[in-house]
Amino acid sequence: MTETLKLTVDRRDRVAIVYTEGYINNQGGEEIAKVAYELIGEGYRNLLLNLAGTKIVNSIGISILIEVIEKMLEVEGRLAFCNLTPTIEKTFHIMGLAQYAGIYRDEPAAVDGLKT
Amino acid sequence: MDTQRALWDELLALAAREGDDRSYLEKLLGAWTRERGVESAALYLDGEGGGERLAAVGRGEYPAELAEGALAGLVTVGLPGGRLAYRDAVPPASDPLLLLLAGALRTLRMKRQLKQQRFQVDYRGVELEALYEVGLAIASTLDPRELSEVILLRAVSLLDARRGALYLLEDGRYRLSNTIGGEAIAEIEAADPRVEVLLSAGVAALEILPGAAHLLAVPIQIDGQPRGLLAVADKESRQGVGPFPPADRRTLGLFANQAAIALENARLHVQALEKERLEREMELAAEIQRRILPKSVPTVGGFDLFGWNRPARQVGGDYFDFLPLQGGRLGLTVGDVSGKGIAAALLVSTLHSAIRLLLDRIEVGPTLLQRLNQHILDSSAPNKFITLLLAELEPSSAVLRYFNAGHNPGVLVGQDGRVLTLGPGGLPLGLMPRATYREECLELRPGDLLCLYTDGITECMTPEDEEFGIERLTALLREHSRLPLSELAARIEATTDEFARGQPQGDDQTLLLLRRL
Repeated sequence: MTETLKLTVDRRDRVAIVYTEGYINNQGGEEIAKVAYELIGEGYRNLLLNLAGTKIVNSIGISILIEVIEKMLEVEGRLAFCNLTPTIEKTFHIMGLAQYAGIYRDEPAAVDGLKT
Repeated sequence: MDTQRALWDELLALAAREGDDRSYLEKLLGAWTRERGVESAALYLDGEGGGERLAAVGRGEYPAELAEGALAGLVTVGLPGGRLAYRDAVPPASDPLLLLLAGALRTLRMKRQLKQQRFQVDYRGVELEALYEVGLAIASTLDPRELSEVILLRAVSLLDARRGALYLLEDGRYRLSNTIGGEAIAEIEAADPRVEVLLSAGVAALEILPGAAHLLAVPIQIDGQPRGLLAVADKESRQGVGPFPPADRRTLGLFANQAAIALENARLHVQALEKERLEREMELAAEIQRRILPKSVPTVGGFDLFGWNRPARQVGGDYFDFLPLQGGRLGLTVGDVSGKGIAAALLVSTLHSAIRLLLDRIEVGPTLLQRLNQHILDSSAPNKFITLLLAELEPSSAVLRYFNAGHNPGVLVGQDGRVLTLGPGGLPLGLMPRATYREECLELRPGDLLCLYTDGITECMTPEDEEFGIERLTALLREHSRLPLSELAARIEATTDEFARGQPQGDDQTLLLLRRL
């Protein structure tokens, strides 16, 4: 009955890209965190969340994303977001996520940003 | 002594560094275990689910999350907002390092609270932004489906709902317009008493969102009239889902109000567009009809002619025409289609084409009328018919042959004051199959004035529902029989308008005037 967030991971050289499809809420956020921590465990220090398939995020989802950002900072890694809807991008700015994570218009720009 | 000094220096450096709380706690905990001769220990921060492990040292197994009885068999020391757990049988004792651990734990707890408060303050900004953006969307989008999506997305995310649905009222049923987070039932009977229970009491009497544990729904209303439903389900927290607090009903209501304004704007916009489209089509139809009616009056030696038409709406069901025939003869026709507006105008168009085409092959006579009757019967709705007066003038002999298919009797006023009426000689066209039509004939004398008209003239009404009538028309024709025909027509128009005393024109008005010089 309840739709869950779908995640797809593309492991590339030095950057892992996680594609989301659906609602980033408590369940969705936990899924992202789980995948992110696995990627950190695999040694990835550059993580990109491509939110092209996400139109909605709630406060629980945001708090989990903040935890993922903190985790990345702890391991001296970097997290970036791309393809955000204008609403989500504005929300990330208000909530301070943009201070600690890069926000890019599209995936190539984000990958370049993470590699430099 | 050097080791001790190095430890203190390291702790001091860690304490000064922002964001290294866990490292600091681990280092401190390690120092404490060495000091106390304990092999392993863990430090927990109290939380909603029991406790979160912040640091652990040594080989012992310490759970990351504290559940009921998780620390059974361990020695625990209560600290402000947390606890220290260790396995060895060393009795708890206070010492400077333990005090430092307590202080660090307290600081961490305060930092977390501060962070949480900052998060909530920031999220208030998101809420305000959401309301502002919904307002902007209302101003910039008139697509009801797009609007309902914006509103539902905002409501679901701001209320931390796991799911949501927006329904719009159509034909007595709430139909699903948008859903987020899972399935929703496609439609709800508006008269279902459970809808009222759901909206007023907040009881999940209807399973709008199948499988949802906690439902909150509010009506979307315009001027107290229901237009839709906005529903959300299952308030999320880190621990799972729960019911919505009362404040959320007010917030959802606010979104429903916004939705109502937006959807009403969109509906009015669609209505305005439709009206504009219809007006354009009516204008086009009026243009087509103007082209059907004669643009000029033919010149016939020994006779004056004039035609005038004023539809009650943009397009009308009246028709008149001058038809040049072989041998210098002239056809004159006045018709009236039952009804008004577009439907009548379409039948006028049919009649016009049929007369023109048939006259290419058939002389004015009973066969022509019968063929016209059959054509109108075949090409119009069962309740539609046309009254028609079709005449043929032989200018050289001044003989007028005519057929009156159920039309208002024409009026002939002689210079000598005599009055003749051109009464009916058959049924209106399109009423009955195999109808027959009788030919009548009269000779026009010099000064004779013939007036063919439609009932919009004689049935023109006063506010008291008094008809203008054929007698007043005849009197007018007799009184002004010598006026130029255009002036006579203008006089008839002005007199009927005066008679109506501001009453709106109820029917199309047509005049065809013929005078023998």
